[in-house]
Amino acid sequence: MRLLVIEDDATLREALVRKLGESGFAVEQAADGKEGLYFALEYPVDLAIIDLGLPEVSGLDIIRQVREKGKSYPILILTARDRWEDKVDGLSAGADDYVVKPFHFEEVSARVNALLRRSGGWASSVLTAGPVALDMSRQELTVNDDAIDLTSFEYKIIEYLMVRAGQVISKAELTDRLYDQDFERDSNVIEVFIGRLRKKMDPDNSLKPIETLRGRGYRFALERNQSG
Amino acid sequence: MRSLSSRLLVSVSVLLLLFFGATIAVLDTAFREAGEQARRDILDGHLVALLAAAEPDDQGDLMLPERLREPRFENIGSGLYAELRDTSSAVLWRSRSGLGLEIPIGVAPELGNHLFARESLQDGTPLLTLSLAVEWEFADSSLKSYVFKVAESLDSFNAQVAGFRRQLFGWFAAVALTMLLAFSMLLRGLLKPLRQIETEITDIEEGKRTALSGEFPTELTGVARNMNLLIDSERARSDRYRYTLDNLAHSLKTPLAAMRALLSDRPTDGFGGRFNEQIDRMDEIVRYQLRKPAASVADKLVLKAVPVEKEVTRLVDGLRKVYHDKNPEFEVRVESGLQFRGDTGDFLELAGNLLDNACKWCEKRVRISIVPSVGARAIASGMVLTVSDDGPGIPKDAADALLQRGMRLDESTPGHGIGLAVVKDIARSYGGRLSINKSDLGGAEIMVSIPPIASSA
Repeated sequence: MRLLVIEDDATLREALVRKLGESGFAVEQAADGKEGLYFALEYPVDLAIIDLGLPEVSGLDIIRQVREKGKSYPILILTARDRWEDKVDGLSAGADDYVVKPFHFEEVSARVNALLRRSGGWASSVLTAGPVALDMSRQELTVNDDAIDLTSFEYKIIEYLMVRAGQVISKAELTDRLYDQDFERDSNVIEVFIGRLRKKMDPDNSLKPIETLRGRGYRFALERNQSG
Repeated sequence: MRSLSSRLLVSVSVLLLLFFGATIAVLDTAFREAGEQARRDILDGHLVALLAAAEPDDQGDLMLPERLREPRFENIGSGLYAELRDTSSAVLWRSRSGLGLEIPIGVAPELGNHLFARESLQDGTPLLTLSLAVEWEFADSSLKSYVFKVAESLDSFNAQVAGFRRQLFGWFAAVALTMLLAFSMLLRGLLKPLRQIETEITDIEEGKRTALSGEFPTELTGVARNMNLLIDSERARSDRYRYTLDNLAHSLKTPLAAMRALLSDRPTDGFGGRFNEQIDRMDEIVRYQLRKPAASVADKLVLKAVPVEKEVTRLVDGLRKVYHDKNPEFEVRVESGLQFRGDTGDFLELAGNLLDNACKWCEKRVRISIVPSVGARAIASGMVLTVSDDGPGIPKDAADALLQRGMRLDESTPGHGIGLAVVKDIARSYGGRLSINKSDLGGAEIMVSIPPIASSA
């Protein structure tokens, strides 16, 4: 998952970026509204965290322009202004949730996970499909209640695919969203990781959770179990 | 007497009364004196004629002929009488018109003198009399004194004067009324700009306009301009206040957030935990202070008309996003067209905090209802805002505690107490009240009643 953080306070921004990175997200950062708007419109983004009080271009303007350009990824606003007027303005402009400063990082992380899963159409923070269950808050994958031991990169891939269960995800999209910008891109690496995931989740090749569509990409193929 | 126009009308009426009163008195006197002088001249003429007609008779006394030239002396009760007396006041002759009447003797003038007098008949008819005492020299050179007297009834004269007065009063009353009417119309025209200012100020209070129009006569443009300046500066003050608070919020809370982020790697039990507690305290103080009401009923000129339905819709749409997972069923009962007279932020704070709490606590259902409340002389209706949910509700003693600042019912849902304390403060600054009851949905029902704003005009 690729997140965009637009926050002008350097200490806060760096802390957020570091913590989100530790949670397994690829994170882009912008220090002012102008740069932020450019990233928000031009970069592949799965979720944006936008401070409302930005220099150059206000957070509200960024949100409006992002929505006007038809981008539908979730937006979480950070606001120092605790009044409902500001929250409602942000939400009306197209944001999906807000966190009031000063926040605990866990609060942000919980909202981010909830928004990501919502954008994939999941109602609960534990995504279940058949015997497979992915707990986004604990970053745990289980198959038939057996915990599967995953590297952080493997987790990122299965999370991305499962959140978008049923959708075809191209290799290019996966590399875009999972690597940081300066990472060396090699689509073969994705194939290797998909192969490892299949082996770990489905050693006897009976479940077939990840489908390969030749020339198009991958799809998490198991039926969602929304009640879970 | 507090209205300018009634003051002016009363003063003008008094002036008119004095002026016309004096005019009437002068005219009346002049008319009477001229009339009376004319009467005296006529009487004098009659007397001269009588003297000319008098002849000595056989008995050596003065006598007047059977018939006189003046017909009014011949007609009984004609109002013009004449008589001739000797020095002992015995009547020697009386005109036929005075038949059966007793003309008072009156005071005899000195010999050779005229004497005008006002006398009256027995029946009270007022008379103007002219007496002349003469000494007559007969052919035998004997001298005898006589008193000639002519009298005319003043009835017709008095009637004439009364008629003149009636006409005078009638005309002057008509003129005075017309003038007053014209004056009050003029006054209406003159005071129209003042009434317009008043209407426009009421419009501002009702939120229908934001400033006074510039279309006033020269004498009032200064007042209107100053009024507009006052309104502008009030608005600017309230905007500046908000802006300062916003900046303060941003510049305080972002570092607090950064501190918290820096601390988040440390274990929460030791130093980091204690530090975090202090951050919480600072945050709470800042939050509470920054969320104080922006406006109050006292700032009537700054108040705007907040479209309640639109703002509630915005709030509910926003909360649907925030509580996406819980997905509460919102029931919105807002009278369409209802306006809240105040600050948009304050209204959102009222409804937002209550709805947010209801969403936190509800099982599934949240209801918001806003109805107008009206009052006498109200230029803007008040409102009763009720938010109910089907959650656990708030017990009576906890409800009392909740209304205290900073008290929290449940530490696990932070901000509940602050939210309600903010609602209470805002309600109070608009002269309203907050009450906590049990909802028919099963949970809490929180009601804020804001009274209508009475006109200051």
